[in-house]
Amino acid sequence: MKVMSGNEAVALAVKLARVGVVGIYPITPQTTIIEELAEMRARGELSADIVRVESEHSAMAVTLGAAVSGVRSFTATSSQGLLYMHEMVWWTSGSRAPLVMVVATRAVGAPWNIWNENTDFMSERDSGWIMAFASTPQEALDLTLQAFRISEDPRVFLPVMVGMDGFILSHTKTNVFIPSQEDVDNFIPPRRQPYVIDPETKESMGNIFPPIYYMKFRQSIHEAITNSEEVIKEVGREYNKISPLGDYGTLNVSYKLDDADYAVVTMGAWSLDAMEAVDKLRENGLNVGLYRVRYIRPWSEKEIRENLGDKRAILVVDRATSLGRGGPLYLELKSTLNIPIKGVVTGLGGVSVGKRDFYSLISRFVEEARYSEVGGVEWYYPGEVKEVELGTPRTAH
Amino acid sequence: MSLEYQVFPVSTPAEGAGGKTGNWRTVRPVVTDRCIGCNACFLWCPEGTIGVVGRKAKVYYEYCKGCGVCANVCPVKAIEMVMEQ
Repeated sequence: MKVMSGNEAVALAVKLARVGVVGIYPITPQTTIIEELAEMRARGELSADIVRVESEHSAMAVTLGAAVSGVRSFTATSSQGLLYMHEMVWWTSGSRAPLVMVVATRAVGAPWNIWNENTDFMSERDSGWIMAFASTPQEALDLTLQAFRISEDPRVFLPVMVGMDGFILSHTKTNVFIPSQEDVDNFIPPRRQPYVIDPETKESMGNIFPPIYYMKFRQSIHEAITNSEEVIKEVGREYNKISPLGDYGTLNVSYKLDDADYAVVTMGAWSLDAMEAVDKLRENGLNVGLYRVRYIRPWSEKEIRENLGDKRAILVVDRATSLGRGGPLYLELKSTLNIPIKGVVTGLGGVSVGKRDFYSLISRFVEEARYSEVGGVEWYYPGEVKEVELGTPRTAH
Repeated sequence: MSLEYQVFPVSTPAEGAGGKTGNWRTVRPVVTDRCIGCNACFLWCPEGTIGVVGRKAKVYYEYCKGCGVCANVCPVKAIEMVMEQ
């Protein structure tokens, strides 16, 4: 056990996975991941090549180039950086290149904001990556290690993106269990990948596909993502053997759901606040439980139906939004379940939402759901900011 | 689990829907004796139509479109671009 931040935990996972190339470009709040990796390299603990580039677009290009040439590779980014990288994010999944990226989430400008929000991460959900989201620094380390193995599995052969809440996880220190190098070496087999671009062969990538071949090709990525569900569970069960805190036999996580009439659905760090709220609400006689989404791609319809299908109504709390519609988790759940679902968008741009807010949101929701048909999307402002008027920070004061 | 659904986007030069693309060319790269076989042309060629065979670069004229990237990146200026007749 060691006390470390989410970013330190990720850097350590990358080192334990024996990565060969890291493409780096700084952006808050991800920067300390790559700083830590560069320091490990300087201390001689890491043999990877650290490639400094001039943009996130190039960071992913370098990481992709290394991956297709046969090297285990890694990069990390946030917010504007992820958006700038967007084109290469799609090239990477389209190239079927196994590699891993961590996204420390952050709001997207304009207006300028460096605080936590998951919209940057969620906006890549159509890109053909496997996408996991951590709720603690421990899980950031665990999911990053598992990501390398999932990515390099022949049934998958796709890049994996691991998200974590900026600052709340990336910069907050907790106890983290670190598996031994020997255990990790046994857990992650030598690199496998679908093809290697090598001057000795005459194969090339980046070619044009006529319409019918293109469509069939995109379908093969779709099938690889749906088939990855079994791989993720299998890899998770293997990982449980080397980590005593492991609970990775399922994609998503249930908390006190079995006998619950109502459920709240969350993703990421604030799920732990929501769990405390659920405990308190149960003490006060409300029969509620929590479902934490850990993988948004693949989206496990089966697990979700099994765990939430019999609930009277569910409340989905998103720290992201598809403007004009609602939170991405809310929209996904609406398309999965045939029960009353209410969405809440909150916590954008770093607005602080704690267990008291979850307590009040959930208790109010249960009251509503008991006597009426719930639905729609609410923009929720926690108690102390409820009264802030619309305006710029200058005009509002 | 059958892996039949897995397809990967790599290819080697072959006749595609556009036919043999060598006839698009107006200038042709000609490799001279100065070639040192360093593979720079192979790494940069956008079409995969040049590569070192033995100790010297060889152009696959059936598909080379004559863009001239190889001549530009050659560190010893061993490739000359010659007008097609």
